[in-house]
Amino acid sequence: MSAILHLAVKDLRIELRSKDMLSSMFLFSLLMVLAFRFAFADAFASGEAAAIDIASSSLWICFSFAAIIGMYSSFVKEKDRETLEGLLLCPVDRSTLYLGKALSNLVLVFIVDILSILFFSLFFSYDYDGHALEVVAIALAGTTTLVLIGTLTAAISVNARAREVLLPILLVPLIAFSVIIPCVSATKSALEGQMTEAVREISSILGFAVVFGAVGYLVFDYIFEG
Amino acid sequence: MLNKKRLGLVAIVVAALLILLTTYLALFFAPIPQTSVEVANKVAPSVEGSRMQVAGFIGRLIFTNCTGNCTGSPAVLLADFSDYSRYTSAVEDSALDQPWWTIQPLIVEMPAGVSLDDLVLGTNLSAMGEVKKTQGFPSFQADYALAVESSDDVTIGGSSGEYEIVIAPISQKIFYFHMPSAWVCYVAFFVTLVGSILYLRSRNVNYDRLAFCSAELGVLFATLAITTGPIWAKEEWGVYWRWDDTKLVSTFILWLVYIGYLSLRAAIAETGTKARVSAVYGIIGFVTVPMSFLSSRVAPLIDSSHPEVIATSKGGLSAEAGITIGIAVVAFTILYTAMLIRRLGVAESADELEEIKREIGGE
Repeated sequence: MSAILHLAVKDLRIELRSKDMLSSMFLFSLLMVLAFRFAFADAFASGEAAAIDIASSSLWICFSFAAIIGMYSSFVKEKDRETLEGLLLCPVDRSTLYLGKALSNLVLVFIVDILSILFFSLFFSYDYDGHALEVVAIALAGTTTLVLIGTLTAAISVNARAREVLLPILLVPLIAFSVIIPCVSATKSALEGQMTEAVREISSILGFAVVFGAVGYLVFDYIFEG
Repeated sequence: MLNKKRLGLVAIVVAALLILLTTYLALFFAPIPQTSVEVANKVAPSVEGSRMQVAGFIGRLIFTNCTGNCTGSPAVLLADFSDYSRYTSAVEDSALDQPWWTIQPLIVEMPAGVSLDDLVLGTNLSAMGEVKKTQGFPSFQADYALAVESSDDVTIGGSSGEYEIVIAPISQKIFYFHMPSAWVCYVAFFVTLVGSILYLRSRNVNYDRLAFCSAELGVLFATLAITTGPIWAKEEWGVYWRWDDTKLVSTFILWLVYIGYLSLRAAIAETGTKARVSAVYGIIGFVTVPMSFLSSRVAPLIDSSHPEVIATSKGGLSAEAGITIGIAVVAFTILYTAMLIRRLGVAESADELEEIKREIGGE
């Protein structure tokens, strides 16, 4: 456990020193929300139901793509700086490495989630009908599943050529059912005030997190080897 | 003694002959499935304006030229649903207005000799009436018209027993190629999963080749399945694709996952890494799809309008259609096996060639 924390803290410390991921993810989410603002201005104003639809779907498109950008660099950076070997030589399980990377990714992506939620509120002058906390909670649950799958595919794609294109190709089909569909509908239910519905969705999202976490824990060993 | 190459060749010939046989049987032997139903639960096929004996349960009473408390002679909407609760839930969801709703309520005039008190919603009614309106597509009505024309001496809505209604247009024949393709693609992806797991356990390169070749064939057959499906769906549902059908969407996602798998393999040069990493992705990818059924948003859609292959109490395939589909499944499975054997041979030769190139120092 402390090894996982150590690895995550190491990643976050490097990030805090350079801030290159945080700044680019910050800008990315700002630009995404801005693009949605221009694209959906009229539709958003057309009624409360439309506003809820647009909010829940735009936020998750924003979260997913920001996460792809963030997770892409988590292994690529190690590879480019030639620190990957050093990391692999750490006297810990490879699976611990996986969870450590996932944890640092979770922190980074979750920060960007919060920023996107704020930007969305600002640009659309939308107050989430008093359900902002629930939206944040769903963002945390969904992002957990997202980074557990994403860290795995990021580690897979780091071995390949054209890896920046490959990561979304590998990741998006995997998160369609396990993240995007349940998260959008959970956010929608939460904004509509249907709490039982939202809780049901969140529990299925967390179920996905457990399954993918377990699969990742088992197979991560094989990705870096030899 | 058959060697591998000869076995593959023989299997291809057998598969080709069986597929020819399937084509013949599908066209000339298997009838378009007749939905055999209790007549009391079904509306007879009809076209607008024609008078005929129709049966169904009462979905709605439609009064014309009145507001408020209406008496007099209503038109009766007979709904062509297997049961009344399905009808009411369809009305609640406004599904009747959807273009893909293929079940067609018919509106007939107030039957003679029936009093208004008898017209209780949900009760079965068999009556002679003029069909005022059918919902649906011209092609549908044409099919119905065909069915009625060809059996015009049949009393639709007779006293008892079963009555057969032609519900599917000629495009239904594509089913004999669609369903075996879908079956084979699931088998192929499962073989990829098994090959991936075995490779990671044993590091035997043969298992990696098996996983790769099977994934390639799986993508091929999945492509066949998801392109033949819409050809039929356009006729039957009125749209090419429905996003609320789990079978369609999960097959599509599976197709994307294995396209990703093949792209991943193409993007890694080093053989050992390629085999290892793609085996990992093959495993995660296969895990995704069964999990889609856990998602609560997706789960209610499982019992959607996708045709059931296995016969249920609601009716099913006729014996002729059953024989045809059986032969088709066997033919496609043999075709897959044959192609897999051939493809494995090619992959093996390609690897040998690489080895020779390396030995003589070329790139």
